[in-house]
Amino acid sequence: MQFATAAPLLGSPAGEPVYRVVSAYKPSAQPGMPGPYPGQVVRVHSENSIDPGTEKVNRELVKQMLASGMKTLTGDARAEDAWARFISPKDVVGIKVNCSGAPRICSSPEVVAGIAENLIAVGVPAKQIYVYERFDNQLQSVGYPKYLPEGVNIHAVETSRQSILGYDPKTYVETSFFGEDDTRSNVVRLVSETLTKIVNVPNLKEHQASGVTGCLKNIAYGNYSNVARSHNFEKTNTLSFIGTLAAAEPVRSRVVLNIMDGLRGVWHAGPFSVMAKFRFYPKQLMFGTDPVAMDHKLIELIEQKREAEGAVSIFNRSMSHVGRDNSNPNTNHFIREPGHVEYASKLGLGVFDSAKIKLKVTEL
Amino acid sequence: MLLLLAALPALFWDGAADTAAALHDAGIKQILVPKERLAAWKSVSGITAEAADLEGATKLLAPTVNYRMNEASATNAPWLVANGWRFIRRPAARYYYDVTGKQAALAAAEASSYGANAMIRTDAAGLKPLAEMLDFLRTIPGESLPPVVDIGYIDDGSGISGEVMNLLVRSNLLFQLVPAPDKRLKLNVKLGDKEYPLADAKNPGTVAHSVRSNLTDEKRSLRIYGSQVVVGRLTGSGAHARLHLLNYAGVNRKVDGIRLRVLGQYPKHQVWLADGAGPELLDYTVDSGATEFTLPELKTYAVVDLSR
Repeated sequence: MQFATAAPLLGSPAGEPVYRVVSAYKPSAQPGMPGPYPGQVVRVHSENSIDPGTEKVNRELVKQMLASGMKTLTGDARAEDAWARFISPKDVVGIKVNCSGAPRICSSPEVVAGIAENLIAVGVPAKQIYVYERFDNQLQSVGYPKYLPEGVNIHAVETSRQSILGYDPKTYVETSFFGEDDTRSNVVRLVSETLTKIVNVPNLKEHQASGVTGCLKNIAYGNYSNVARSHNFEKTNTLSFIGTLAAAEPVRSRVVLNIMDGLRGVWHAGPFSVMAKFRFYPKQLMFGTDPVAMDHKLIELIEQKREAEGAVSIFNRSMSHVGRDNSNPNTNHFIREPGHVEYASKLGLGVFDSAKIKLKVTEL
Repeated sequence: MLLLLAALPALFWDGAADTAAALHDAGIKQILVPKERLAAWKSVSGITAEAADLEGATKLLAPTVNYRMNEASATNAPWLVANGWRFIRRPAARYYYDVTGKQAALAAAEASSYGANAMIRTDAAGLKPLAEMLDFLRTIPGESLPPVVDIGYIDDGSGISGEVMNLLVRSNLLFQLVPAPDKRLKLNVKLGDKEYPLADAKNPGTVAHSVRSNLTDEKRSLRIYGSQVVVGRLTGSGAHARLHLLNYAGVNRKVDGIRLRVLGQYPKHQVWLADGAGPELLDYTVDSGATEFTLPELKTYAVVDLSR
């Protein structure tokens, strides 16, 4: 069993959270995060990858972007060789999509299908591939099946909301944020019991609580139960909870690759995309094994966009910007915690220091 | 076999005897009626009637959940309307519910789980759910195990003390009333003591939180994970324990899975589930300190027997 702490879990609700990680899973020889390419981020941009007017994605260009990104990340001449560094035909592979803003913004089915095709190309049978997300209604709203190769599984963890049956009762992170009685957040059962590798496919979004929702948030809150309890009134505990969840085994070892879908983006009121005025189109994919470095680049992108739109920084902690009406880009429900990315670096999940991050940009 | 029959709640029906068909159709076999109607009901075949009245009985709240979605609150937890604390405060009292529809079934289960002497007045829509629940309760072998408690609570009989007890019940903090601190218990609580100032009791949730903190979660005999609307009542002694589980949202929504942790080693188990076939408990584990398992579904009420 992995116990992060033996301190009492139920202290003052106002204090810093104390976590207890319960897991029988051991780290792999080289955990997936930060993986073989710490501090490295590859960005592939293609102006014609999506038409903002029609939202139509150019599937052929996306395939080229995927191949280019993987080759640039690994240095391999052939995309198949690049994928084979991470995935073997024996693996059971999860593609962790993000559908919290679906159907308006989500892991694009064209990107997800392209990833599945590459997995099959390196010998993984389609039946050993799972596209998964926590909530069935969000997953269903995207319509992945018509894009995916035949035989690829679609898996929703909660076919009915709040059902715990899709989670592993023996693997969890325990804490009390606000005195809630259910102190456990259990890992997705598919992740612990079935998958051997995970390809993480987050979006490029601002997040009302965590500041941004990229690699770390998608792999943390997207792989555990009972996580919304970390927010109450303007306070959110995403600062430390996200990294703690992501660093727990078996999640840390099994997430071997991050491909951030930035064809579309959300610069305010995320992770949803109810208001079209906060959507934008970066027309890019980011690649890496280091979720911290990638999310640092995400922070920079969101900050640039918000500055261009005249919106306050996601690091602004003034209560004067907290309110319910987030149709105003300077009003937010929570005091955001973009520091969760740096916090995760301290847990060994990746490189946060800008000076040590190498960004390679490719234009298609 | 000793059945729960002795502790079963009963339908209080003030309709005339010519309403017997509705009761027959619902499957009601025993009723309590106003004494002025007893003679007429005695002539109805298939239904056993006894005289009773609601006067002198304490009216209970209809068990339910208020979600308070649009209210600002210090907690996201839904508000459970539960009567367990009343049964603990006055175990020998007579009670009655005035409930409609499926709430009659939940009311019967709640009263039965505490062994309360309760009558249930309901409408036509409540007859069948109530009859089904009473039939279910009759299938459960009786037990006379004492409640499992972690906390001794010194009740001053005040309204605020009652609200604190209500919060303790709803938080699954197992207590019994004691006249003075009992060293055999893990924690003793008296409002007005330094640890539990009366000023805090204006918000009973604050006191319940303090009680939980002082007890610590590790020492709680019962933990429920995966639902905020389920209340458990645990009885037991030595090698045997019985866990009653009430879903206060059960009128509208079943719970898809709850994880239970009971202190003690109980490798054997048996389950009775209202409104469904007896399910298998999932992911059953027994370690040195506790027994854990998942109940895959809870509509209204379930009973889990644990033994060595």
